[in-house]
Amino acid sequence: MTDQAKSERGDQILRFWTPVLLRAILLVSVLLLLVGLCLALARPSSYYMKSFESAQQGLVRQRTSLPMLLNEAVHGNPDAVMIIGLMVLTLVPLARVVLCLWVFLREGDLLYVLFTAYVLVSLILGVFLGRIG
Amino acid sequence: MAQVLGWLFALAIASGFVGALSGLGGGVFIVPALVILAHVPMYVAAGASLLSVVATSAGASVAFVREGWTNLRVAMVLQCATVTGALVGALLAGHVPAWTLELLFSLTMLQSAYVSVRKKGDTILPRSDALATRLRLSGHFPDYSGKSIAYGVANVPAGAVVMLVAGMMSGLLGIGSGALKVIAMDSVMHLPLKVSSATSNFMIGVTAGAGALVFLARGDVPTAIAAPVALGVTAGALIGSRMLVVISVRWLRYGFILLQLLIAVEMGWRAFSHI
Repeated sequence: MTDQAKSERGDQILRFWTPVLLRAILLVSVLLLLVGLCLALARPSSYYMKSFESAQQGLVRQRTSLPMLLNEAVHGNPDAVMIIGLMVLTLVPLARVVLCLWVFLREGDLLYVLFTAYVLVSLILGVFLGRIG
Repeated sequence: MAQVLGWLFALAIASGFVGALSGLGGGVFIVPALVILAHVPMYVAAGASLLSVVATSAGASVAFVREGWTNLRVAMVLQCATVTGALVGALLAGHVPAWTLELLFSLTMLQSAYVSVRKKGDTILPRSDALATRLRLSGHFPDYSGKSIAYGVANVPAGAVVMLVAGMMSGLLGIGSGALKVIAMDSVMHLPLKVSSATSNFMIGVTAGAGALVFLARGDVPTAIAAPVALGVTAGALIGSRMLVVISVRWLRYGFILLQLLIAVEMGWRAFSHI
């Protein structure tokens, strides 16, 4: 296969799979956010208002570990379900970068594999930096 | 409670709608809406907004990638700069005084209004400069008749510097900073307009994602605001992009410019009253 043909093929795969994958992730995230909001609505009105008011005062720092978050979500904690919905949403850009990495790997384009890997590593680094910062 | 939630939804839907119609993205409207109307601190609004930027960019970019205007190589080279900037910006966001954020937002709005005002002359470079050639950044895009038009790219380092700033503004202020990205690609690197807006759209999601991950990991995303805002902005953007096909936005252009100037003045005023 010529380089041109290889690149066109990669483009085609990207063009087919990107929308499918992105829509699927987006859908899951929207569903989780909706479920979380419904769970919050099912609680007494003060539940939502308390967290809204503390956000207005800038008091939001709620750091929990992922296993704890999942556990709370399974037990129907509205905040935990919504946080997971938001986390799923951040998989969208991650997935796009991973798809690009795969295309450049297929093309054997080392320079661009490096660029894409840098972006991917930075995205993941953000999570760790956020935990510290 | 239902009233507050309904009010947040309405703000978010309106922001997403205006963001899609004006092509500026929901972030530049939802952040001032949250700060001015919902009395939420700037960095809290930024965290919530970043996630809605991720959501809208995912929805909007699907069409662009399919039509083959996005230049993936250009996007990846510049992404290295924006993502670095976004990480720095998001890490600083919780520590920078509110007036600095408000002043930066005001300046960003002015720059964005300037981008909307200036004449858009589309120049297509016949070939790339030395560095862009080594990076193989040249590309081609389909014009209206389906004919493939080749274009070159220039000034990659200068473009990357502007992108670093764009990334930082995104992480600090919770916006996609599309206006700065388009300046970098269109005015500095001389990419064709369609290619730069499609590529910028692809980049906005990843840049905002980098910032959003920092905010999420830090636990700085208030779900009471972020969840309705992300849903509302996405819905508003979907409606807006559908309407884009039906209505002519040319007459709305001056309205958008005026709106941006008003936000710039309001945020600037807030910054000075905080000092």
